[in-house]
This record gives sequence, C-alpha cells and structure tokens, in this order.
Amino acid sequence: VTAWTPRLTAVAALAMMLLASSASAQSSSGRRGSIVIVTGEQPTMPIPTLMEGTAGTIGNQELADQLFLRLAGLGPTLITAGDRGFVPLLARSWTRRDSVTLVFDLDPRARWQDGVPVTSKDVVFTMERARNPAIAPRLAALLHRITSVTAEGDHRVVFSFSEPYAEQLYDATFHAAPLPAHLLDTIPPATLARSGFISQPVGSGPYRLVRTVPDQFVELAANQDFFLGKPKIERVIIRVAADPDARINLLLSGQADAMDNVIPPLDNIPRIKGDTNLRLIPVPSPTVGFLLFNQMDPRNPAQPHPILSDVRVRRAITLGLDRQLLIHAVFGSYAEVPYGPVSSILWIRNGAPKAKRQDTEGAKRLLAAAGWQDSDGDGIRDRNGRPLTLTLSLPTTSAIRRKLGVMIQEQLRPLGIALELQQLEFPLWIERRTSGKFDIDFAGTVQDPTPSGLTQAWTCGGGTNVAKYCDARVDSLLDIAIRGRSKGNPGEPWFAALRQIEDDAPATFLYTPFYVYAVRRHYRNVSIMPGSSWILLREWSDAR
Amino acid sequence: MSGWLVRRALQALLVLAIALTILFFLMRAAPGDPLARASENRPLSSAELATLRARYGLDQPVGRQFAAFVGGLLRGDLGVSIQYARPVTALLAERLPATLLLGGSVLLLNFTVGLWLGVRQAVRRGGLEDRSLTAISLVGYATPSFWLGLVLAWLVGVKLRLLPPAGMQDPLLDLSAGSWLKTADVLRHLVLPVLTLSVVSIAATMRYQRAAMVEVLHLPYIMTARAKGLPERTVIWHHGWRNALFPVITLFGLWLPILVTGSVFVEAVFAWPGLGSLAAAAVWGRDYPVLMGASLLVAALVVAGGFLTDVAYALLDPRVRLG
Repeated sequence: VTAWTPRLTAVAALAMMLLASSASAQSSSGRRGSIVIVTGEQPTMPIPTLMEGTAGTIGNQELADQLFLRLAGLGPTLITAGDRGFVPLLARSWTRRDSVTLVFDLDPRARWQDGVPVTSKDVVFTMERARNPAIAPRLAALLHRITSVTAEGDHRVVFSFSEPYAEQLYDATFHAAPLPAHLLDTIPPATLARSGFISQPVGSGPYRLVRTVPDQFVELAANQDFFLGKPKIERVIIRVAADPDARINLLLSGQADAMDNVIPPLDNIPRIKGDTNLRLIPVPSPTVGFLLFNQMDPRNPAQPHPILSDVRVRRAITLGLDRQLLIHAVFGSYAEVPYGPVSSILWIRNGAPKAKRQDTEGAKRLLAAAGWQDSDGDGIRDRNGRPLTLTLSLPTTSAIRRKLGVMIQEQLRPLGIALELQQLEFPLWIERRTSGKFDIDFAGTVQDPTPSGLTQAWTCGGGTNVAKYCDARVDSLLDIAIRGRSKGNPGEPWFAALRQIEDDAPATFLYTPFYVYAVRRHYRNVSIMPGSSWILLREWSDAR
Repeated sequence: MSGWLVRRALQALLVLAIALTILFFLMRAAPGDPLARASENRPLSSAELATLRARYGLDQPVGRQFAAFVGGLLRGDLGVSIQYARPVTALLAERLPATLLLGGSVLLLNFTVGLWLGVRQAVRRGGLEDRSLTAISLVGYATPSFWLGLVLAWLVGVKLRLLPPAGMQDPLLDLSAGSWLKTADVLRHLVLPVLTLSVVSIAATMRYQRAAMVEVLHLPYIMTARAKGLPERTVIWHHGWRNALFPVITLFGLWLPILVTGSVFVEAVFAWPGLGSLAAAAVWGRDYPVLMGASLLVAALVVAGGFLTDVAYALLDPRVRLG
C-alpha cells in the first residue's frame, strides 16, 4: 500500500490537471462577444407584476429590464416629472388629450420573442394585473391614480388618470413593462408564479433567457430580432456570488468581466486599480442612509419620545456630526452627504441646497437651550436626573453601518451624548424598526427614481413612517410638488419640502453613495444607467 | 435482523418527529420577522405586510401553522419558501447534488488519505515521518477553514490562476461540450473547496486513526500474527486496521450531518451552490419553510449516521449482533 498509493495519487492529479486545462481552454474560446457580470443576488422572479414582497429585489428588476421592454424609458437626466425627459421604447410616441389622458402609440415593429407583434392588448392586460391589489399590492398602490387603460386599435393605448399631476407618464411607463397577453391570459394570476413562463419567459426586450442554473448563474442570449437593433454582445452571463470576497476573486481572476457594488469594502478599489484591464465606473445610486429619530416613546408609543421629541436635540445631533469625515472613512470619495432624504439618483438632488457642515458649538448651544447640562461632571449631559443616553439600533449584516455607528458614537461623546450601539440580527432589527421599538434607527433605503416616494416615509400618514414623524407643512409642500402645479423651476416645490424636513430634523441624513462598477476595458460604448445598472447593455460592444 | 431494522426505523421516525416539533416551535419563539427580507431595501407598508403574511399563512395561530406543516409533510410538501417564492422541495433538490458532491468528496478524501496517513504514523511511531505528520496534522487541525479558503482562493485562484476561485461550473463552457469536459470543469471548481474542508477533517481522522492503531499494534494477537509469519501488510491492514477502525466509524457517523451544515463558510467563500448556504440564508431571513426542510434533512442525516455506524460495527465485529 505504501508503494502504489503515491503513484496512484500522482496519476490522478495529472489526469485532473489535463482535464482541467482542457475545460479551461474550451471556456476561454467562448468568451469573445460575451460578458460575465458577477453580482450578489440571484434573480428568481424577473417577471413584471410578480416582483412583489420578497421577489421585489434589485436582481429581479435588473434581469426583467433585459427581458421586458417598457413603453418608455427614463432619459439620462432621470427626470420623472413631465412628459419630455423620456426615451421611446415600445411606444414610439405619446400625446396628451387633456391633463388627465395620455395616449401612447406603439411601435409597429415591436415583437415578442416568439415573433408575435406587441399590441395594445398586451398593455391593457398587463395594467389590469398590475392595478389589481390582490395580485400586486405594491404596484397597485403605486398606480392608484390610473383610473383606466384602454386599447384603441392594435397600436394605440389610452391611459386615464384620476387627477392632473406631474408624473403621469412615469407612472404609466416605469412600474410595469408589458407582458405577452397571448401567452398569459389563459393562466390565472394566482398560478402564474408557478407556471412554465417563469423559467422560460417570452419578453420583448433585447435579451432572451437561455437558462437559469440556481444559485450559480443566469444565461441570456441576444434577441436577434430586437426591433431597436440587435445587441452587439451576443451572450450575457449574470453570475451569482453572495460573498463579496468570492465576487472580487472572480473578477480579478478573469472569470468575470464586470462587477457591481465594488465597495464595500473600500480596499477593493486599489485592488481593481491594480489591474490595468479593468476600469472603475461610479454611478449615482438610489441608496440613502440616515439616522432616524423616533418621535414617540418606544416603551409607550402613545407618548412623545422623552428626548427626541425635542427638535433642538435632533438638530444638535445632526450639527454635532462631521458627516463628510464619516462617509469618507467608509466610501472614500464615492459618496456625498444628502440634503434631506434624497439619494443621488433623484433628479431633485440637482440644484438642492447643500447639507449643513459640522458645528459642535452650535450643537452644544442647542442642547443647553433644551435644558441638557452636565450637572454631575461625568461627561454626559442630563436633565431632571435623566442622562442624555440614546440607543442606536443597527443590523449586524451591514458592515458600513457597524463601522459608522462606532464613529458616530465617538463624535457624539464630546457633546455629552451617550450613544449605545444595539447591533441586532437583521430580522430582529426589522421587527423592532417596524414596531417602533427604537430610539435612533440606522436606516438604509433604496429609492425609486421618483421623489414622490418621499411621501411614504416623511408624511403623517406615510405607509413606512415608522418613526411617526408628522409635519402638516411637509405634507402640504410634498403634495404641491407631486401635483406639479407651481410655475417656474419644477424642482423648487421639492426644495421647499426638503428645507422643511431638514429644519424639522426627523433624521440625520448621512450618506448617499455612488455605486462603483468594474468593467473590463475591451468593452466599448459602456454606459451604466443609475437605478438599473445593465439596462443599456444592448449598446455595449466587445472590442476583443 | 429484520426486527432490528423495523425497531431502528421506528426509533428514527420518533426522533425525527420530536426534533422537528421542537424546531418548529423554537423557530416561531425566536424573535425576528420572516418578511424582513422583503423590507430590506424598500420598506413595505403595513397593508402590504398584511397581504404577504396572509399569503404565507403567517397570520394564523402557531398551532394551525403546525397542523398545516404536518399535513404538508405527510403529503411530501414542505411548503413554499418565503424568500424564493418557490417550493422548498424543489430548492432542496436543486442544491442537494452540489452538497453531496462537495461533502462526499471531502468524506472520501478524509477516510482514505486520513486513515492511510494515520496507519502509516502508527506503524512508524516515534520516527521522523510520524513526528512530521503529527506536526502537520496539528497545524491542519488548528487552521480555520474560512481563513484557509480565503487564502487558497486568492493564491491559487487569483494570483496563480491555476484553478477557478469560485463557483461550481464555468458558465461560458459551451452547452454542447462533451460530458468529459463538463466533468473536468466541475472537478476544477471542486478542488479548492474540497482541499479547504479536507485539511481540518483529515487532520482529525489521522489523529484518531493513529491513536487507535497504536493501541491495537501492541495487542498480543498482532504479535501472534507476526509470529505465524504472516506478511507485514496482512498483519497491519487485515488484523490491525480492522480492529482499529471503531473510533473512526464513530467519527464517520458524526461527520455525516456536517456534510450539510459544516460547510457554510466554505460554500460562501467559494460561491458553492450547496445546502449549507441555503440553510444559512434561511436562518438569516427567518424563512421558516426552508429552515424546516433543511432541518429535516440534517435530522435525517443524524439518524442515518447512527444507523450506518451500528451496521458497520456489526459487520466488522463478530461479537456485535443486530437483533
């Protein structure tokens, strides 16, 4: 046994190396005209009207963008108000009959991937499902201002709205790309998620789904008959690796050509810069991170919060933090301090006022005016025997928030504020958050491209207003901004609402990062759309 | 023998039933919202949450949820994953092959190389080879798998580019490629995760095997075998090793469930699409149906491990009788 085992091992190793090299050579030859994108999230249900609840992931949305074309797309300015900032897709044009009626004329060249023409019947069918709260509760809520969608012939669709407002075109086109009625109208909505259409969808987009290998990758092939021009990259692989180390290893080893979310960690940046075949592309992101102040007492939700219901304390915390320093530590130069709850993807970011800089003396004055003094000399302010101690809840899954939490704790200590960090397992953190059991919640949200979404968290009756922040002036200003009734700069009513929110300080708005992508240099005409990373992939080419 | 099998099967079912019942209620008692994942990026309103709770039966009393789970289990239906919105049986079936391949390869390597090296050490007890292997095995045993995985992926996968640093197959490999190429491709991807997991397990097996073999080699019947003029290979492998196997068989029984649960970190580092990462994500997201499915599988492996150990004892030791 001692003699033959090493020989056997050597033979086995040699055979495996030979097999391995042949498999490697075979795959290398298949790379030209293709792209492997590595990402962290497995798309599971990339079907419009079904991306609800747990299926409402960015991974699903980004894949759906390749398979299904919208009536119109957001233009480069990402302006969601008005009718002019959009790019024709399935609809070649649109006109207004009046302030509550939009008419779309479909491009007669548009075809489903099975060759059947895209017609107005498809749009009506899709909108019926999207507007049904029993099928798609989130979509139905977003589309509640659409009162009817009707077909006029095969290529004309008429959308009617309950009232005039600035984002009618956005609502009609962004949320639900049309589905093929001829394939789906016989499938009951309740069983669609389990139907064969999910694994072999037929879309109208630039790419078609070839195969899904669960938890590994999704393969797409160019739609040869795509009416807006055949994509130059023939084969797209969306490769899944949940672990950030695995993702960067795939990219740096040449097993992947592009990667999203390069940071965190920040030290991925120099690693990628060290590879001359790769380039970094920062893109505005829909993410915004903030410290949310509970307005109500978490122990007795009927009562105001004993510390944070005082606007002076909230403002003092915001003024006391050096937000530039904080975000530079975790994002480098790839983030900025937002003004209000505005991610860098929202068009109202342009022209908005700048966030206030750190002013520790001003913060101390505010705390003193609110009656918080360090009466016992222990370094922590107190009032009527109660120390100025607050708890910051954050999820253990977010390395960024953990790191920032420690730094925030350090920055608030000199002001006489004791901040206790409460790191919670993710589901527990969400549970505490939604039930209002927190002092300060370290929140991070992803926004749609429309500023109208601000009503969800920052109005008195907002569905996700877990901190119970309520200012009737903000409600009114947001309502004016959404209706788009003011004359002049369309951003101005939004800025007025943001100024009021900043003044109320319901949260300290900390960061809106840029998503950093890495792409191999041999791809040409590379453009990445904020909010939908790979939607313009059909315009890329491979110069190898 | 058949009576013993029936008794063991009934025992196994009872153990499974008790384990699953405890798990079901413990999971529900643990804090955390199973719909947390849905609120991860875009917070859901209370109305949307209520709709989703009704869809997954989470608005029902725990007793009714348990009855529904048991009813489904009896029909072979483990429910629908909250996170993936797909049947749990399908999710488990998709990931089981990858787990069996990884775990099976580790077990195979472990119980061939580990046993062989352990026996070599015992035979050469006190020599340079024994001392060197002891030192190596101690280092291997003390090496954290996740750290070793990161180092191997970076060194072999990224710097040297000898093997792929992650995944289970090359997505660009032509669909029409022959089965040899496809097999070779999977083997290339398998090497690093297997190596990572094997270092610790082989080290442990070596230590166990060496200790057991050293003890056996001093027994009088070994001296008798040598005195009878039997070849040394027969003395060691036929007479010695067979009796030194019992501690290692126990180890095998313990290792079997770790096939599924023990490779979570390594699966993550190498993006290996196995059950470990699925179960870990289910814990993180409180995906009750997937958790119950994965727990059922692990509990079944624990029971199977015990059963196989008993059978192996009976086969190897004539003094042990099943009945």
